[in-house]
Amino acid sequence: MSFGLLLPAGLAALFALLLPLLLHLHRRTEQQPATFAALRWLQVQRRPQRRIRFEERPLLALRLLLLAALALLVAQPVLYGAAGDERWVVVAPGIDRAQAREAVAAPDAAWHWLAPGFPALEREPPAGTQPLGSLLRDLDATLRGDAALTVVVPTRLDGLDGERPALRRGVEWRVLEAEATPTPVAPPAPLTLAVRHALPDDPALRYLRATAAAWGAAASGPAANRASIDIAPASEPIGPEVRRLVWLVPGAVPPELRAWIEAGGTALLDAATAAPGPDAGIALWRNAAGEALVLGRAMGNGRVMQLTRELSPATLPEVLDPDFPERLRTLFEPPPQPDSAYAAAHSPRPGGPELPPTPRPLHPWLALLVAMLFMLERWLATSRRRERAA
Amino acid sequence: MTAGIPEFIPADVRARLRDLRLLARRPSGSPGFGAHTSRSRGAGLEFAQYRAYQQGDDLRQVDWKLHARSDRYYVREAERDSPLEAWLLVDATASMAQGDAARPGWSRLDAARGIAACVIELALRQGDRFGVVTVGGEGVAMVPAAGGPRQRNRCLLHLHRLQAAGTWPAAASLGAVGERVGPGALVLVLGDCFDDACVALAEQLSAARREVLTVQILTTEERDFPFRGGYRFTDPESGEELLSDGASARDGFLERFAAARRALAARLAGQGIRHVEYVLDQPLDAPLQRLFGKASGDAGPERT
Repeated sequence: MSFGLLLPAGLAALFALLLPLLLHLHRRTEQQPATFAALRWLQVQRRPQRRIRFEERPLLALRLLLLAALALLVAQPVLYGAAGDERWVVVAPGIDRAQAREAVAAPDAAWHWLAPGFPALEREPPAGTQPLGSLLRDLDATLRGDAALTVVVPTRLDGLDGERPALRRGVEWRVLEAEATPTPVAPPAPLTLAVRHALPDDPALRYLRATAAAWGAAASGPAANRASIDIAPASEPIGPEVRRLVWLVPGAVPPELRAWIEAGGTALLDAATAAPGPDAGIALWRNAAGEALVLGRAMGNGRVMQLTRELSPATLPEVLDPDFPERLRTLFEPPPQPDSAYAAAHSPRPGGPELPPTPRPLHPWLALLVAMLFMLERWLATSRRRERAA
Repeated sequence: MTAGIPEFIPADVRARLRDLRLLARRPSGSPGFGAHTSRSRGAGLEFAQYRAYQQGDDLRQVDWKLHARSDRYYVREAERDSPLEAWLLVDATASMAQGDAARPGWSRLDAARGIAACVIELALRQGDRFGVVTVGGEGVAMVPAAGGPRQRNRCLLHLHRLQAAGTWPAAASLGAVGERVGPGALVLVLGDCFDDACVALAEQLSAARREVLTVQILTTEERDFPFRGGYRFTDPESGEELLSDGASARDGFLERFAAARRALAARLAGQGIRHVEYVLDQPLDAPLQRLFGKASGDAGPERT
């Protein structure tokens, strides 16, 4: 176990220790004025007291201690190699607690939910789908290197990402038969596209209309798949339920549109529109030659995409391609990533990165100490004053 | 007393003044009749000498019984009692405004006013003439010597208006003091006697055959030095400042100050000046009791 500081420069705050020292010293040399005509018989003593003296030493010591603790708090002290639990059992949400305890015979282990923050198993099971793969990596990096880990999972795993988690320790992977809780799949919202243009005879509108028609024709299935398009001049407001927009107005992005995007909208800007930020983002669509056709990035809660060339066959021949409507739809509605797997096939594999040990932060305890010292200091300071006044 | 002038003398002090008399050691030279021994001889109660008759002497002064014995004409002379001229020389420099922190509103100057008022009362009662000289930053101010209750009021009013300010004036402006204060007068100097020029003036007057008495008015802080902790001492006259720690400076100050006071007393005694100290916490009549009271060994004039 060793002690370390994450921000050693924070110890520069120790210079603040000079402050109470000066305060307590200053009162010492404070001079009261006195009229004294017999001055010539008073010996000249430029230094009344050579020795440096401090008043109210207990209070001074307390204040120094308080400031030192504060400086230490700024420096973010941590404890490396702190004694942790030897064995951890994490239970994925969706598994009955009693069933898990029965399946894994480890009475002295630390039992936790596989959820953000790793709450103890005695707490209520966390609701919703958890990012299990990410949590496993997190736990592996946080735990002591030699701690044993047992993971209890249901047959089917949700909330995964593309890769089997690679951990640095061997994991006991227990798959339990759990009642399949069908995760409710939200029906896809009908695609409503708003188009705002500066010129009513913009040639791009032809292709957008055709695209919407193609979406409508392709939607032979449920009504949810149908698409609608709302083409209007730029001055028209955007409907409250519409979350997708094509903006064909040259010039800067108006603040209302920016606010709309940051509130969660997705906008495709014309090439003539000034980019709303310094960074155009990454290429979302490239042509066969590898040139970026659409750049996109996140903005607030929404996304902003921008065409790099004008929406016309002369500059963008892909408009005439038969898969152009599907491409455009993919831009607005990226297809979902695969995130479910059978647990038996998704056990973590060894070979995770060797990480430096995660230190245990000490600031909560230090903050408590600072608060106690502060209250003690206040009490001492005010009671002293009361005593002096009396 | 005028309504505008506050009562300078507390009732108990006034009661104790009854036993006091202003007495000069040297015979007075003032003309007229009074309570004091005179240098001029003539008709009176106290026999002085016989002298031979001269032309122009009053025949009533011839001692006829002696003529019968000696067949010569002798004139009997007696010492005449003459009134005294009492002068109050009040120091009104800035240092006189100093008082005690323990008793604000009671400065050296207030004490000087009180003592001066006591002396004026005594002089008035004895029929003596009295005057006031104040020396301050604005120079020398004077109430010429005269007698009577109106003179008392004039003097008290002058003292009442007096403000302590400035420093001791140059010696040239002090010439008027020597001119106005006649020979043989009793001069009571009221001040802190810290100014060497003040002491020099007293010595000068004494050397010019004025009877000088000094009352050195000290504050209790100067006597006891009760300061604890850091102080910035300011001299009101020179404006000089001195930072000092009260407790550590105390012993040295008391020693040096006592030595300085002893030296002053010795210097004044050498000039025949009677010198007493008055500290602000003492009753106002204390210095007068020591100067003129029965306890004082040299107070009474030797009468023959």
